[in-house]
Amino acid sequence: MTITGPTRADALLDALDRGLPHGEIPVGLFGNQEIYDRELRRLFGRCWVFLAHESEIEAKGDYVLRKIGEDSFIVIRDEHGGINVLFDACRHRGVQVCRSDSGNTSHFRCPYHGWTYNTKGDLVGAPLWRNAFGGMPKEGNGLTKAAKVASYHGLVFATLDPSAPPLEEYLGGMAWYLDLLFGLNEHGMEIVGAPQRFVIDANWKSGSDNFAGDDYHLGTLHRSVWEIGAFPVPFRENMMGYHVQAAPGHSLSFSMAPTEDEPGPKFFGFPEELVATFDTSRISAHQLDIARRSRVMVANVFPNFSILALPMTEDGAHHPPTGVVTIRTWQPHGVGQVEIWNWFCVYKNMTPAQKDRAYRAGLGTFSMGGAFEMDDTEPWITVSRTGRSVAADLLDFKLNYQMGMPGVGIAKPVEDWPGPGISYWTRYEEGVQRNLYRFYGDMMRAEPGAWPKFSFDD
Amino acid sequence: MGRVMAGSPLYDEVVQWMDIEAELLDEYREREWLEGMVSQEVVYQVPLRQTVERARGTGFVDGVYHLDETYGSLRSRVARNETAYAWAEDPPSRIRHFVTNIRASEDGDAIGVRSNLLIFRTRQEQTQPQLLSGERRDVLRREDGVLKLYRRRVLLDLTVIGTHNLSIFF
Ligand code: FES
Ligand SMILES: [Fe+2]
Repeated sequence: MTITGPTRADALLDALDRGLPHGEIPVGLFGNQEIYDRELRRLFGRCWVFLAHESEIEAKGDYVLRKIGEDSFIVIRDEHGGINVLFDACRHRGVQVCRSDSGNTSHFRCPYHGWTYNTKGDLVGAPLWRNAFGGMPKEGNGLTKAAKVASYHGLVFATLDPSAPPLEEYLGGMAWYLDLLFGLNEHGMEIVGAPQRFVIDANWKSGSDNFAGDDYHLGTLHRSVWEIGAFPVPFRENMMGYHVQAAPGHSLSFSMAPTEDEPGPKFFGFPEELVATFDTSRISAHQLDIARRSRVMVANVFPNFSILALPMTEDGAHHPPTGVVTIRTWQPHGVGQVEIWNWFCVYKNMTPAQKDRAYRAGLGTFSMGGAFEMDDTEPWITVSRTGRSVAADLLDFKLNYQMGMPGVGIAKPVEDWPGPGISYWTRYEEGVQRNLYRFYGDMMRAEPGAWPKFSFDD
Repeated sequence: MGRVMAGSPLYDEVVQWMDIEAELLDEYREREWLEGMVSQEVVYQVPLRQTVERARGTGFVDGVYHLDETYGSLRSRVARNETAYAWAEDPPSRIRHFVTNIRASEDGDAIGVRSNLLIFRTRQEQTQPQLLSGERRDVLRREDGVLKLYRRRVLLDLTVIGTHNLSIFF
């Protein structure tokens, strides 16, 4: 006889449902093993997950090894220029076939018995084929592919779920906001080199939660960056701007001056010669206007892909801040660990000197050795410790996500916001994070094949 | 370019320089280190590394780094650690630099020094240390009679870095 009943994970998800309308979140989400196991299947096993940028695999045969959840996938450009996302496991015994983090190849040969696969993942041969496998079809014995692969502005995503909607439908309103950063000119962006990788003892959601629009932490946690002149906008002024729930699950935040004529950085601090190439041939006048007025854009595409654009410098005494773009994934690495993959992006038509400046400014601020980011990991480590806490459970400890709810603080809904989604003025607001957790709860409960809504108006 | 023999006065001077540097860094005397031991023209780099097949070499990726510092950016880092808000290192982690296998060679004014480096680090109540192992390839240069760090390239034995930040100095 088997006894089934509500698990601890169910209880936490119930507590999330009950708490969210009041701005309360159970901390156990950040430390419970059952929740984590369910996340791997129901979020990372189903959602569109960011893997690579097309500029990393420009030539035929170029590949990088990346992760969906905890699993390795080869992202490779095949002989015909198509991008394939192949599960890195030999069909014979499950052995890893890709032996490098990146490279260029015409095939992968398994080190165990020598099954060999081409850049599309097809099985093309094995030693002494006729003796060993003569009569067995090669078709159907290739590397297993992700269910769907798509890219948007060169950002390559994949999903393991054949029932997933097309990428653009999944991104919903978020696509409009990606356009106004990645689509400002016809050249678009490229990656500098290869991603940095770090593992820290925190839960992956702390990164997504932070990049969904936790601007309020800057004044305390990152106070040192003003003391050394790394960032040009004072804390209080930087809280002016918009919080946007672009679509269920996807949130972002803009730092913007209250009026257009205010001095200070425009277009995320990009150099003027670059800004001169931005136009409305690919985006609307509204999108260009938001980009023009923005000092900072920080965003999270559910579940774990984050984007940040802002003016920074690694050496305030010698270099004024310049526009920096970092993209990253918060890759789950067990319930209590996250691997941070951090890429720097530059516009393709920047001069080599501008690219170098942007890269150095980004590296010196938004990397594990950077003045900004090195402080972030400190609190996230203890969030995950609280998430594992028995006391938190026994004492009915809940996290407060109430900022900007009716009667709490000064944030107000914006009625005439020109973009998709729900917008608030001033960034004293945590609806962006509540939006993340509402969709999270829905995905964690959705039955196989069923999907929550991707738009607020459906 | 000639090898500096162990036991020679110059070799002893280099070893002592390395030991004093480690002492300053282990004792959080970062400003003393920067102002007394580092050249204004320093290039200080920790390149990014990937796993690659043997035939492709050691996996260091051209032009991408974990740290790529000049004197100005090093000064920013030191100044940051001196603010009251450098949470990453306050309370500071306990750090010990173990520097071994020192080999020196002389080329005019410059002394090339290769050494193995092991950094042992704990924070808060951790009992498992974070370990960072690698090779330092330095160039020391005499400036007004004083040996200064002119180039440092730290080749880590890691592709994924398992420490909560790189607010430390290698
Ligand atoms: S496991 Fe790959 S060929 Fe046998
Ligand atoms: Fe932060």
